[in-house]
Amino acid sequence: MNVLIVEDERSLSHEMEIYLSRQNFNCDVAFNGRSASDKIHANSYDFVLLDLGLPDMDGMELLRESKKSGIESAFIVLTARGEVEDKIAGLDLGADDYISKPFSLAELHSRMQAILRRKHGLKSNVMRIHDFEIDIQNRTVHCNGQSINLTKKEFDLLHYLALHKNRVLTRIQLTEHIWGDVLEDDYESNYIDVHVKNLRKKLSAHGSVEWFETVRGVGYRVNA
Amino acid sequence: MTIQVKFAVYNAVSKALIILAFMALLPLLVERIVYDHIDKRLVARSERVLLTVRKGSIADIVREQDCSFESYNILKEEFVAIYPITDPGRLTAGPQIRNESWSIEGENLQHRIIKRPFLYDNQMYELNIGEGISAIDDLKSIIQRFMLVMMLAVILISLFVDLGFVRLLIKPLNKIISSKLQPVPSPTSFNFTPVESSTTEFNQLDARINEMMHKLKDTFLIEKEFISNVSHELQTPISIIQNRLENIMIESNVSDEVMIKLSESQRTLNRMSRIIKALLLISKIENDQYLKQEKVRINELLDEVIEEVEERINERGLKLYKHFYDDFNYGPCNKTLLFTMIMNLVNNAIKYNRDGGSIMITSRIIQGKFQVEIKDTGIGMEKTELPSIFDRFKRLNKSKADGYGLGLPIVKTIAGFHHIDVQVDSEPETGTVFTLVF
Repeated sequence: MNVLIVEDERSLSHEMEIYLSRQNFNCDVAFNGRSASDKIHANSYDFVLLDLGLPDMDGMELLRESKKSGIESAFIVLTARGEVEDKIAGLDLGADDYISKPFSLAELHSRMQAILRRKHGLKSNVMRIHDFEIDIQNRTVHCNGQSINLTKKEFDLLHYLALHKNRVLTRIQLTEHIWGDVLEDDYESNYIDVHVKNLRKKLSAHGSVEWFETVRGVGYRVNA
Repeated sequence: MTIQVKFAVYNAVSKALIILAFMALLPLLVERIVYDHIDKRLVARSERVLLTVRKGSIADIVREQDCSFESYNILKEEFVAIYPITDPGRLTAGPQIRNESWSIEGENLQHRIIKRPFLYDNQMYELNIGEGISAIDDLKSIIQRFMLVMMLAVILISLFVDLGFVRLLIKPLNKIISSKLQPVPSPTSFNFTPVESSTTEFNQLDARINEMMHKLKDTFLIEKEFISNVSHELQTPISIIQNRLENIMIESNVSDEVMIKLSESQRTLNRMSRIIKALLLISKIENDQYLKQEKVRINELLDEVIEEVEERINERGLKLYKHFYDDFNYGPCNKTLLFTMIMNLVNNAIKYNRDGGSIMITSRIIQGKFQVEIKDTGIGMEKTELPSIFDRFKRLNKSKADGYGLGLPIVKTIAGFHHIDVQVDSEPETGTVFTLVF
């Protein structure tokens, strides 16, 4: 998978590059619109992560121009503006997704996975975690042929943890994924813990959930 | 009371007072003038009579038997009388004029009488010439009545003229009030067009108001721009640190202790990012960067919010009571913002509740206005705290222990954006109730 990171803030593109390289993406970086445009036309990328606030041009313009010349890469728009209008405009211009800064790299990764599934059907729509089968397409979970009834949030939680299996996800990362931008400043709460507790209870009724680990003081991990 | 009315009342009262005083003085004045006139005539007549007396013999006019003389005209309006003075005590030094009741043929009538002693033939006589004054009273009342009618007419006319003039005079002032002193949602929507007037004071007033509002607007814009810029600028470094933390956390050689510290740092960073996002949200709403194009059924929106927080309510053992008596199809509005607003209030009701407490959400029409009430049985607040709970700057000053974050300032801003009135009432240890009046 080839990714072009278009971001003028070098420290930020550097961190994205480190993370995505670990996920086996081949990363290329452009710090301005001109060089990004050249690279997009010269190479074939699966993903273009596009910052809107570029020093030499508006990222939106680069997106329009690329789509016009038939570039097939999936575009994810990154912006600090967080404007709903930007989001709509970006998606209208053919962006595949939109994520506002500051974002979590795990969230970015899961968005990329979702696009891959949607666009190319590259990954199987069913994830296996021990005895449990997570059907992403139909949003269902089965264990030994038996369906487990999960709420929307419980499913999202399990799916997200499974996607990042063998890695600790912190409460903050999980909260951001599940709750998105609903403004809520109560982070001392055990919101996520409540969902995890309920999820574990439902899953354990069907099979062993030893793989569902609580990492004390940090968050949760799915070991597979 | 408006200036116009005050002016009119003042004018009418002051004129009425002047007229009253005039009316009170008028009889005296009339009397004075008439008496002056009569007195002059009486003196002249007495001179003439005395002259006649001196020229001829007094016997010509004085009757033999009692040495006196009396004569009057047919209407008893005038008379001349001469009497000998037998009692020297009655003798007066010179001529005297006074009002006296004079009896003529048994009829007592008020007269103005001149009394003039004179010596004739070694005998003192007194000459009395009188003129009836009953006609003067009639004259006085006629003049008074005439004046009264005249004055009333003058007052009325001047009242209307005054009213018209004052109205014309203060027209620019009224325009200043209606165009400059009405509440505006923000200084940016203030109407800076100068109000035309030929009155210097009004021009000055208008110019000063405009000047003040310009300053206010500049300050307001600078403040908003500052918040917006700072928030933007801070997002990037936060992004960098956040991503770096994530990268460090997935390295395999991180110890458990470091991991805990990293996740705490992530939480702190997240809090910072939330505050900045909240400030950005507030400043964007205040800058009118949100659209208001949707229509929302408020009860549906309430249900959506309740669904979001249901699990949390259950987890805290709270009871939720819904009383949707009326519904309201509200618009144009921004649904996302309204959701955030109600979410923040419900969150508040959960956060500051006591375990096993309850939350009551009521929607109904009271006095023609749709209202949503969110009531909790929580820790409540002191009355003195209430005025500052919506103030974003005061909120940020508070320590975490007694602070409420920016949730309520956001509520206020969103409500203001939609012209929804937010009311709060609270009782420590009993609970808080927020009311949204649409």
